[in-house]
Amino acid sequence: MLDQTRQRLATAGLAVLLLSIPLVVRDSYYLHLFIIAGIFVIVALGLDLIVGYVGQLSLAHAAFFGLGAYASALLSLRLQWSMWIGLPAAALITGVVAFLLGWVILRTRGHRFIIITVAFAELMKLVATNWVDVTRGFMGLPGLQIPNLYVPGIGAIDITSKERFYYVVLAGAVITFVLCRKMVRSSIGRAFVLIRENEVLAESLGISAFRYCMIAFVTGAALAGAAGSLYAHYVGFVSPDLFNFSYVTIMLIMVILGGKGTLIGPALGAVIFTFLPELLRDASHWRMIIFSVILIVTTLFMPRGIIFPIIEHLVPKRWRTRHASAS
Amino acid sequence: MPALLEARDITVRFGGLMALKGVNLAVGAGEVLSVIGPNGAGKTTLFNVLTGRVKPTAGSVQLKGQSIERLPAFRIAQLGVVRTFQKTEVFGPLSLVDGVAAGALAHDDPDPSARAREALDIVGLLGKAKLTAHQLSYGDQRLLELAQALAAKPTVLLLDEPASGMNHQESAHIVRLIGELRTQGLAIILVEHNMQVVMTISDRVIVINYGEKIAEGRPEEVRADRQVIEAYLGVDSSANADLR
Repeated sequence: MLDQTRQRLATAGLAVLLLSIPLVVRDSYYLHLFIIAGIFVIVALGLDLIVGYVGQLSLAHAAFFGLGAYASALLSLRLQWSMWIGLPAAALITGVVAFLLGWVILRTRGHRFIIITVAFAELMKLVATNWVDVTRGFMGLPGLQIPNLYVPGIGAIDITSKERFYYVVLAGAVITFVLCRKMVRSSIGRAFVLIRENEVLAESLGISAFRYCMIAFVTGAALAGAAGSLYAHYVGFVSPDLFNFSYVTIMLIMVILGGKGTLIGPALGAVIFTFLPELLRDASHWRMIIFSVILIVTTLFMPRGIIFPIIEHLVPKRWRTRHASAS
Repeated sequence: MPALLEARDITVRFGGLMALKGVNLAVGAGEVLSVIGPNGAGKTTLFNVLTGRVKPTAGSVQLKGQSIERLPAFRIAQLGVVRTFQKTEVFGPLSLVDGVAAGALAHDDPDPSARAREALDIVGLLGKAKLTAHQLSYGDQRLLELAQALAAKPTVLLLDEPASGMNHQESAHIVRLIGELRTQGLAIILVEHNMQVVMTISDRVIVINYGEKIAEGRPEEVRADRQVIEAYLGVDSSANADLR
């Protein structure tokens, strides 16, 4: 009971903090970073289902992010679909592609799985670069817009300002977090953890590793696709650069150094590792060296991720609740 | 006794190696069938075939008359053929309840934790339910494996050396448990090197050597079989003492 009360208070405090950010942060650049961080929270939570919960190292996640961005952009520019239809459509298209890819690669494990996900990501980049008639190649697809938000009883709300779009992204991140929490606390999430811990044993007891890895893979990819759609409409432009390997690297850093196998860890990781490289800009050419040193030190001294030392040092033991997947 | 699980002419080739050659076996409800043979004879390969981890090159496996040899391992487990492993397999960092609940989850049990506690109670580990599998002693981990399998609601239980590495007292506990499970109607196939356990608990014994079945019968018949003594233990009398 004590845990529950304190959890509710902490959640309420966090909600007030997150809701007040556009009111407190007046600098447009920092607000932009909060929006990008929110989009990457969605991406990281999706990747965490695959990497943290079922334990498969997928390097295709940036490709799903890019695919969602391109799908939403093409639907918007060619078919004049609103982002509000384009976003779920992008998630659906990405999910279907992930299902087809998963049908083949989720029968493999280890280095074979990793290499095929890299090959898929490269293939997507080649398509985006060379299918010029559709994607305009390196010139990308500019001119994407943020549509009005229609609220029953209120009417159309212009959400093109950063202050308002922040709340759209925040809603997306919160919905994603709640859905992922519901999933990982259900029998599906328990099966994820059992497969991660001992796949051979889980199968011998009747749990289909293929089925549950597919659920994680498709859900994670669909979330990346939805985040890609948000990103495309926010930035207003998509290009083959979205498929760059650096994107999947930073996504993995967010999940692994945040604390894979938890939800709060990758969400926190997404915020930290969106802000950190930007905050280091003042260090000029030392920037990436300092960033690399921080990554190495974090990896060495917080091997399970940032979230665990935070919990162990800042949260009194009696407030903590048990969470099997965080083991 | 009608066979619950029946394997017919099972042959397994790994490249040029013939791991199993035309092996037959059948086990009925409430029966303990032991499979013995020297290391490398093909006992674990036979378990792998019966549970779907290895597809036979030839032959069939039938559960209640239904062919299962081409089904995936998880599906065979869902149908009721559940195993333990020669090398202990547990969900290390998870609590005993969370790990044992795996089998119940696979059956969409409305309360997997309750089922897990029930299985832990059967093997005598309920008092340690909140520990993680890694915190258990080796002997307790072997019992945990049995609990994991029981939570998966088996009709045929395959135990791969359940008493290996256990002291006399722990072995006696395992024998008692297997006996209780038999009286509940489970069909049990046992691979075990501890001959005292095999001879005490088995209704029938089959002997495999170089992938071939060389004998089958009641424990006392197998124990007296000249071919078994020579092929399985060699003519060395010190080794034969173990069998006797």
